[in-house]
Amino acid sequence: MVPQTRTAERKAAASAPTTLRSADSVPSVERFERIVDDYQRRLYGFALRMTGNREDAEEIVQDAFVRAFRALGKMTEEQRSELRLQPWLYTITLNVTRNRLRSKRPTNVALDALADPDALLNNTQEGPEQPEQIVERGTDLALVEQALLQLPMHLRAAATLRFIEGRSHPEIAEILNQPIGTVKSHVHRAVRILRRILGPQVGRIAPSEEPANAV
Amino acid sequence: MRCSDVEAFWDEMREGVEARSEHVLAHLRRCRTCQEAFEQCEGVAYCLNCLPTVEPPTNLVPRILEHIASMRSRSRTTTGTDDFARINSPLGELIVAWRETGITFVGLVRASDVETAWERVERRLRRPLRESVPPDWVVEAVGRFFETWQVDMARVDISGLSDFEQAALRKAAQIPPGEVRSYGWIAREIGHPQAARAVGQAMARNPVALLFPCHRVVDASGALHNYGYGIEVKARLLRMEGYLKSGA
Repeated sequence: MVPQTRTAERKAAASAPTTLRSADSVPSVERFERIVDDYQRRLYGFALRMTGNREDAEEIVQDAFVRAFRALGKMTEEQRSELRLQPWLYTITLNVTRNRLRSKRPTNVALDALADPDALLNNTQEGPEQPEQIVERGTDLALVEQALLQLPMHLRAAATLRFIEGRSHPEIAEILNQPIGTVKSHVHRAVRILRRILGPQVGRIAPSEEPANAV
Repeated sequence: MRCSDVEAFWDEMREGVEARSEHVLAHLRRCRTCQEAFEQCEGVAYCLNCLPTVEPPTNLVPRILEHIASMRSRSRTTTGTDDFARINSPLGELIVAWRETGITFVGLVRASDVETAWERVERRLRRPLRESVPPDWVVEAVGRFFETWQVDMARVDISGLSDFEQAALRKAAQIPPGEVRSYGWIAREIGHPQAARAVGQAMARNPVALLFPCHRVVDASGALHNYGYGIEVKARLLRMEGYLKSGA
C-alpha cells in the first residue's frame, strides 16, 4: 500500500468545509456524521503524531468528537454559522491530547534522550548510515517519529501542524490560540531540537522537490 | 546580518514571505555554517513530511456515532418533579433524590451550601427538585447499603439514562461487594467489547452513586483510576467493603 503523500492530503484538506451552517437548534446526528467522516482521518493522524500510540489516538479522536458534539448543541445558530470548524476541531483534539498526556508520566526513553539527544541515533545505528537512505527505510522513519515524540508538547504540536499537516503560521496560531510570533518561534525551536536529535546528516537528505512516493 | 539571526528566517523563507530574503540569501552565499543549518532544517521538514499517513481503524466512525447516539437518547427528559433530602451516612452527608418509581440520585454533598448541591442535581437530572422528608423506603434502601453493601434494584430508577448506560450500571450492580471488575469486563459482559471507555463515562455519569456501585469498577491493571468524589473516597468505600486492606 502506498500512503498518500502529504501534499495530496493537504489539497484534500484545503477543499474540506470549514464552517458548519445549520438551521437546527441542535446538531443532527446525520449532519454530525458527515463532520466525523470528513475529519476523523486528519484528527487521528494528528493525535497519533502527538502521542505515538494508536490506542491513545483513537480514544482522543473519539473524545474530541463527543466534546465537539456537546459544544455544538450549546451554541446559538449565529455562533455555529461563524464557527471555523477545522481549526476548532484541531483545538479540541489538542486539548484532549494535552489532558491525556498530562496524566501519563513521560517514558524513560524520552528522559534519557533529553539528556543526550544523540544517544537515540547512536543506539539504533550500528555503522555510518548512508544518509540518502534514511527516509527509505521504515526503521529510520521510526527514528523521526521517536524524535518528534521527544519534543515538549507545545513544540511537538507546532512542528506537527507545520510540517506534517502542512498548516500555515496563521492557521497554527488559530488552532493553538497563540500569537503568530510565538508560533514561529515554537516551530523554530522544534526544528533546532530535531536537528540535534537527528544529527547533521539530516541536512544531506533534503531533496529539492517534493517527495514523490514517500515511505 | 548575523548567523544567529539568519536561521530564524528559514521557515518564513519557505513560505516566500520573508522581506529580508535578499539579505539572508546574501549571507548564505558566503556563510557555509548557515548554509548547512538551512539544509539541516530542510532535512528535518522533509523527514517529517515523509512520515506515512496512518489510517484510523475502520470501526472508529461507527464507534463515535454510537457514542453520540447514546448521548442523545439520554437527553430524552422525563417530566415531573423529584423530591430530595439530605441523609447522613457513614461516608458523610448524602443528597438523595427520588420519585415514586425509585431513587433517582445519590451523591455526596461536597458543595458548601445546599442550594448549590440542589442546583447541580437538578442540572444532572434535568428536572426540578423539591426538598421533602424522605419516606421510610428511601431511608431503608440507603441504610441497607451501608449494612450489607447490597441494594434492592427495585428501589432505584435509572430509566432516564441511555440503554447503554443502564446496561453498564446494571452490570456493575452484579459485582459482589468486596470485589472489583474492570471497565473492559463490563464492556465485554454487555456485548460491547470495545466500549471500555464508554463504560468509564457511563460510570462517571452514574447518578445513583453507591447504590449503583461504580466504585467497584477499576482499571484493567487494578488501579482505582478515577471517581467522581475523588480516588480517596473510592478507596475508602472499597476498604469499607473489604476489598482493600485497611492499610491500603
